[in-house]
Amino acid sequence: MKIKSQKDFWSGLMFIGSGLFFAFWAMAFYQMGTAVRMGPAYFPTMLGFLLAVLGAIVLLQSLTAEPEGDQVVHTPFNIIDFVIAIAVYAVLIILSQRIGFAPEWSLLAATLIVVLLTVLFRPDAKPLVFVTAATIAYGYFMKPLGLVIATAALVYISALGGHEFKWKEVTILFVILILFSVLVFVKGLTLPFPIWPEYFG
Amino acid sequence: MDQILHNLVIGFGVAVTPINLFFALIGCLLGTLIGVLPGIGPVATIAMLLPITFNLSPVGALIMLAGIYYGAQYGGSTTAILVNIPGESSSVVTCLDGYQMARQGRAGPALATAAIGSFFAGCVATVIIAVAAPPLAEVALKFGPAEYFSLMCFGLIAATVLAHGSLIKAIAMVIWGLLLGLVGTDVNSGVLRFSFGIPELSDGIGFVIVAMGMFGTTEIIANMEMKEAREIFTSKVKNLWPTKQDFKDAWASVLRGTALGSALGILPGGGALLASFGAYSLEKKISKHPEKFGKGAIEGVAAPESANNAGAQTSFIPMLTLGIPSNAVMALMIGALMIQGIAPGPQVMNEKPELFWGLIASMWVGNLMLVILNLPLIGMWVKLLTVPYRYLFPSILVFMAIGVYSLSNNAFDVLIMGVFGVLGYICAKLECEPAPMILGFILGPLMEENLRRAMLLSRGDPTVFVTKPISAGFMIASVILLITVALPAIRKKREEVFVEEG
Repeated sequence: MKIKSQKDFWSGLMFIGSGLFFAFWAMAFYQMGTAVRMGPAYFPTMLGFLLAVLGAIVLLQSLTAEPEGDQVVHTPFNIIDFVIAIAVYAVLIILSQRIGFAPEWSLLAATLIVVLLTVLFRPDAKPLVFVTAATIAYGYFMKPLGLVIATAALVYISALGGHEFKWKEVTILFVILILFSVLVFVKGLTLPFPIWPEYFG
Repeated sequence: MDQILHNLVIGFGVAVTPINLFFALIGCLLGTLIGVLPGIGPVATIAMLLPITFNLSPVGALIMLAGIYYGAQYGGSTTAILVNIPGESSSVVTCLDGYQMARQGRAGPALATAAIGSFFAGCVATVIIAVAAPPLAEVALKFGPAEYFSLMCFGLIAATVLAHGSLIKAIAMVIWGLLLGLVGTDVNSGVLRFSFGIPELSDGIGFVIVAMGMFGTTEIIANMEMKEAREIFTSKVKNLWPTKQDFKDAWASVLRGTALGSALGILPGGGALLASFGAYSLEKKISKHPEKFGKGAIEGVAAPESANNAGAQTSFIPMLTLGIPSNAVMALMIGALMIQGIAPGPQVMNEKPELFWGLIASMWVGNLMLVILNLPLIGMWVKLLTVPYRYLFPSILVFMAIGVYSLSNNAFDVLIMGVFGVLGYICAKLECEPAPMILGFILGPLMEENLRRAMLLSRGDPTVFVTKPISAGFMIASVILLITVALPAIRKKREEVFVEEG
C-alpha cells in the first residue's frame, strides 16, 4: 500500500489518535449518564468517536484517492525527527522532575537541551524551536526575574532563530521594546508585572 | 422606519461626543496598525486591551474594541497588496489579485479600490445592523436550548462548507476544537475534565491563548522559514485614483461582496474571514473572464475586501442579539461586556439602547475615519512595511507574550501558547485549517450546555431538534448545505475555485 497524500495520511492519524484519546479517557474517568441527564463523559465520548471516524476516512482517502495538488508535507525537517524531538522533550521533563528539579526548572532545562540538540543536528528547524523556546522562557522568567530579563530572553532567543543575527541591531531593538513595555504596559496601563528580579526590588 | 431613525439619532448622539470620537479614533488607528503588521491580529490586540477597558465607560470600551476589528480589515489589505503577505487572515485572498496588480504598477488603484469598497461595505453593514438587529432580537427571545443548539450546528457547518480545503478535515478540526473547548470544570457536575491534574487547566484553556498560538506564533514561524527576500512595492504607490474602467469593472463586485459578506457575517461562525473567501469564489464563478483571476483582476480585490469589512461588522449581530460569539473577536467582545457587568443577549438592546445604538453609529463614524487614515496617509503605513522582518517578529512576539501573560499573570498560559504554536505549525503543514477549530473551541461549552438542556427538557427525546419549527429550519438548512457540498459536481467547482491557493 502506498501513501498517495502525505498530508492526509498524517492528519488522519492525528485525528484518530486524539479522537480515541478523548473518547476513552472520558469513558474511563467520567460518568456517562443518560441521554436525559448527560454526564460529563457523554458529549466528549460522542465527539471523540466522531473525530476518530472522520480521521479514518481521511486516512483511507490518503491511501486510495488520487491526490490533487501538492500533497507532500514541506517541513525543513523530517516528521519522524519531529516526533523524536517531542518524545525527547517529554522524557527530559519527566526525568528531571524525578531527580528532584522543580517543575519550572525541569521545563526550562529540557527546553534548553532541545534547543541545543536543534542547533547541533537540525539547524533548519531553528525558527520553530527557537520561537517556542523563547515564549516558554519569557513565561517562566517573568515571576522570579522580572520583565526586563524575560523580555531580553524572548527577544534574543527568537532573534537567534532568524536568518540574520546582529548583536548591535538586536540590542537596540531590545532597548526600544523594553522601554515601550515598561512605559506603556507597566506605567501606563498599570499591568502588575515585576520589572526587576524580586531580590532587588 | 421612524423607530430606526429615532434609534440612529440616539446612536449618533452617543457616538459623536468628543470622548467617544476619541475612542473610535484610537481603535481605528490601532486596528490599521495591527492590520498592516503580519502576525499580530485583532484577537491578540483586543485581548491585551481587555483588562484596561474596565476603567472605561461600557460604550467607549466597545467602540474602541470594535474599531480595532474593522480597522484591521482595512490595514490587512495594504500588506496583502504590497507584500503578498496577508496582514490579516481575512485578506489572504486579496493577496492573489492585489499583489499581481501591484506588480503591474497598479498598487494605487488596488489600495483605493480596497478602501473605497470597504467604506461602502461598512456603510451598508451599519444600516443592515440597524434594520436587522431589532427584529432578530425579538425572535431570539423565543429561542430555547434546542434552537440555540441547532443554530450553532448550522453556523459550524456553514463555516466549514464555505472554508477552503478539504471538507472532512475542516469538520474534523471543528470537532477537535469542540473537544478542546471542554477542557476544564464541567458546569453541570463540577467534575474536572481533561485537566490531567494540572490546576491551571481547571478553568479551561483560554481561547485567546489558543488563537494567539495557532494564528500568531504559527504565522511568525512560517514567515521566518521563508528565505526569499520579499518584494515590496512601496515606491510605486502613486496615482491612487482608479481609472474609469476600474470603476466599471469593480462596482458590481463591491455590491456582491457587500451583500455576501453581510449575509455570512450574520451566521454564527461567520465573520470577516469566511466572508472574504466566499466573496472571492463567488466572483470567480460568475465572472465572464475567470482566467483573469490571479493575474491582477480588480474584481478579485474589490469583492473580498468589501466582503470582509461587511462581515466584520455584521458579525456583531449574533453577538448583540443572541449573545452567541461567532468568532474569536466576538467572544472577546462578550468578555468586554461582562467586565462591565452587562450580560450579553437579546435584552441588551432594550436595557441599554445608548450602548447598542451608540456602537452601531460609531461603526459608520469609524469607517469614515478609516478612509481618511488609509487613503491620504497610506504613505505612513507603507513605511511600516519597509521595516525588515527580523525587527518585526521579536516585537510582535513581545506584544503577544505580554498579552497572554497579562490574562492571569501565569507562566503556564505562555507555555500553552507555545504548545498551540507548535500544533498550529503542524496543522498548517498538513493543510488543516485552524479557523474552524477556534470556532469549535469557542462554541464547545455553549453547545454542550444547550444540548444537555434541550435533552433534559424533552426527556431524552432527540426528535425535539426537528419538531420545533425554528430548530427544524436550521437543521434542514444544515443538511442541505452538507448534501450540496458532498455532490461531486459541486465539489469539483469548489475545488476549482481555490486551485490557485493550494
